Amino acid sequence: MSSLAPKFRFSYFIKSILDNGFWAVILLTLAGIPLVQVLLFYLELPVLDDKLLSPYLAFTILADPSGQIPLLKSFIQTDFFRIAMFPGFGFAALLAAGTIFVERKMLAKLQLRVGPFYCGKIEGILQLMSDGIKLLTKEIIIPARADKPIFWAAPVLFVATAAAFVALIPAAGGGWVVADVDVGLLAVFAVIGFFPVITVLSSWSANSKFPFIGGIRALHQMVSFEIPLILSVLGVVILTGTLNLTEIVESQSTYWWIIFLPIGAIVFFIAMLAELERIPFDLPEAESEIVAGWLTEFSGMMYGLVQLGSYLKLYAFAALFVVLFLGGWHGPQVWPPFPQEIIEKGIEMGPINARFPGLPLLDQQMLNDVLWFVIKVVGVIFFILLPRGVFPRIRIDLLLHIGWYKLIGLAFVNIFIALGLIYAGVLGPEGIL
Amino acid sequence: MLHMADAVFLALAVMTIGSAIAALEVRSLIYGSIALMGTLGGIAGFFLLLDSPFVAMFQIAVYIGSIAVLILFTVMLVRRQLIFIKIEDPRRRYAGIGLMLVMMLALGAVILASGIKSIQTDEPPVDFREIGEDFLIYYWPALVLMALILASSVIGALTLARREDITNEQHNA
Repeated sequence: MSSLAPKFRFSYFIKSILDNGFWAVILLTLAGIPLVQVLLFYLELPVLDDKLLSPYLAFTILADPSGQIPLLKSFIQTDFFRIAMFPGFGFAALLAAGTIFVERKMLAKLQLRVGPFYCGKIEGILQLMSDGIKLLTKEIIIPARADKPIFWAAPVLFVATAAAFVALIPAAGGGWVVADVDVGLLAVFAVIGFFPVITVLSSWSANSKFPFIGGIRALHQMVSFEIPLILSVLGVVILTGTLNLTEIVESQSTYWWIIFLPIGAIVFFIAMLAELERIPFDLPEAESEIVAGWLTEFSGMMYGLVQLGSYLKLYAFAALFVVLFLGGWHGPQVWPPFPQEIIEKGIEMGPINARFPGLPLLDQQMLNDVLWFVIKVVGVIFFILLPRGVFPRIRIDLLLHIGWYKLIGLAFVNIFIALGLIYAGVLGPEGIL
Repeated sequence: MLHMADAVFLALAVMTIGSAIAALEVRSLIYGSIALMGTLGGIAGFFLLLDSPFVAMFQIAVYIGSIAVLILFTVMLVRRQLIFIKIEDPRRRYAGIGLMLVMMLALGAVILASGIKSIQTDEPPVDFREIGEDFLIYYWPALVLMALILASSVIGALTLARREDITNEQHNA
């Protein structure tokens, strides 16, 4: 008899399997099936080719691949896809994760280091995954006498606010946006207003010196740079006469606003760096003075959530810059059309001819839009990352001086340029362009 | 029949009034200011319910994003014992509740006397562009006055920022 299981009896083994099976059947019939039926009652099932997607049809489609593309197409049109995948959370999180890796690698190259190198075969490509697993498995330590409810809620609220910001950004023409709000730009500023609140509350709740100093600095910085941020986009609003972000993009089909309002774009970019707490404005997280600023006491996945939130915010700000000044998704048509023969004849693999009715899955225009949008966003993110390898941190009095004095003045100059363009008859409803 | 809007209105009213009471009654100043944010956010919700997202967004951006933050900031920098000399006088509380009831009765009487018995709910929301046009055509003196006040306050802020600069120079010299 093996020493691993000294009391092993084959009959016990059989009994345990039967027991498990019995309970599984009982639970499935008493709870599982009613749950499925209740769900089916409330779930609005899509209609494919004038046929309602009943569970029977769904199982048929599982066995028959040719029916899956219409199903996928109808899934892409749902709100769930928009919120969770594209252009919502999934898309933004993917770009954010890419940003983290590129940032580390690029900074290393700028400073003649190697950066992430050993994790994964090629250039440390799996570093991010290992970091994620490490953060997930680490213990979450709450500081003594911390205010627990606020301390727990702060990272979650931070990610939620960043996700709400992402939800307002349109990523392609034809309504590819989670929340197409009529007052989109104002909604963006309303959402941005929550970040200092969450930051300062989390820093206070940690009951520690360094987070508190960092939080107060973050508050100063974010609140004072919100003003030039809002003033610098007023020029765009004056020229387009709308607050809807999709309409702002569509107004730039011929000219990007950065051509007419370069000062506004520069002010917006600098204010954006300060709102994102990036170098040279990273006083709230100054690691050489106050450990990690308002992030000091976060550990484990709480820290991971705050990082995720701040990179989502970075994506959202870069995308907002693209939407406001760089023409959004407008660009020359470079995406190739879907090959016609696959639609007509299917794919021939030797004796098998696989036909996929319902192709193409996404239309060419939308893919082209997304391509240009991603290229522009990645470019802006690159310019946000670049100062980190080049500039030192600036002093807090200089920071506030820049925010309150220079940037606000420049933002007003920008507004007068926009007004001048309209009154000179260059742009606007009766303009030459 | 309880409509969706009614349910939302009730929830918002409970949230607004509940957090307003909490803002007054909670012992911790920080939680009190968080409750104040709940009240201000509830009012933004009322504006959304009234089909005016423009005002709602400004309510959130200005009241939660700036004023609540200012209150929070002040509260955090103040040591609690210094401002919290407890005066537990129940008469104060009853006087406050009485004053509130009188105010609510007066307001209710005014509203009932104004003859508004019902409101149209199926009218389209007022576009904020129309409000802007009205401001430029009929109410231009008010607009000019507001612009002058805002411009003077911004110039005042800029001047303050500049004075800091001068004091720095004096400090260095």
